[in-house]
Amino acid sequence: MDQYECIETDKVEDVAVVKFVDERMMDAARIEQLGGELMDAVSGDDKDRVVINFENVSFFSSAAVSKLLVAEKRIRSQGGQLRLSNLRPEVRDVFNLTKLDSVFKIEEEQSDAIESLQ
Amino acid sequence: MTSPPPNWTLERRIPSDPDVCAKVIEPLVDALENFGWAAREVFGIRMAMEEAIVNAIRHGNQCSPNKSVQIAIKVDDQEFLATITDQGDGFDPKQVPDPTDDENLECDSGRGLVLIKNYADEVTYNQSGNSVTLKKSKP
Repeated sequence: MDQYECIETDKVEDVAVVKFVDERMMDAARIEQLGGELMDAVSGDDKDRVVINFENVSFFSSAAVSKLLVAEKRIRSQGGQLRLSNLRPEVRDVFNLTKLDSVFKIEEEQSDAIESLQ
Repeated sequence: MTSPPPNWTLERRIPSDPDVCAKVIEPLVDALENFGWAAREVFGIRMAMEEAIVNAIRHGNQCSPNKSVQIAIKVDDQEFLATITDQGDGFDPKQVPDPTDDENLECDSGRGLVLIKNYADEVTYNQSGNSVTLKKSKP
């Protein structure tokens, strides 16, 4: 899968960077699609360092969090590392309240996340 | 000059399709904003409602096209109140494993309930567990 609808991918300093297209992750079908695209984007031996940048995201449901967990497990199983960055305070609250801030490593800015993977 | 209505209400029966959620939540968000609720409060109510409706559709009605979800909402400048009722067998929220326990952190289930509990001031279930009422007061 080279073309994605729910995410944008980039490579910065050899780190794979993923951004979400949608501001609000609510629609069930869209979240399913997001899950498939995320898995594709983070799979492969060259995806050992990944940053998921939330700068576009104002709403992130528990269903979307589940897709993120699956992607995180895939990256970990490949021996890779994942960082999240640019979370708005209310989106970060979702991770804090569910204690997933202990599963995901969260950095303020994308540059911090990339630096932490060097 | 006409004074604004004292409250906003919505009563709707929706099919067991999670994609219909937005048709209830978008007008609710508009109503909260019209009554001067802060963005962070609106985010929390949106989250609690989305999770409660999706739970009713997926876990309550098992996405059955023969079942529906009844939603009743009342909002004013002081309080948000909503009841979501599905046509499933109900459940006991105390029996759902706590997804914030270390051993359950990466499990799929229960995270929505944690969010509902945190974003609403009061969460009450009926005796059979197929209807939940969420209440939040404006800070």
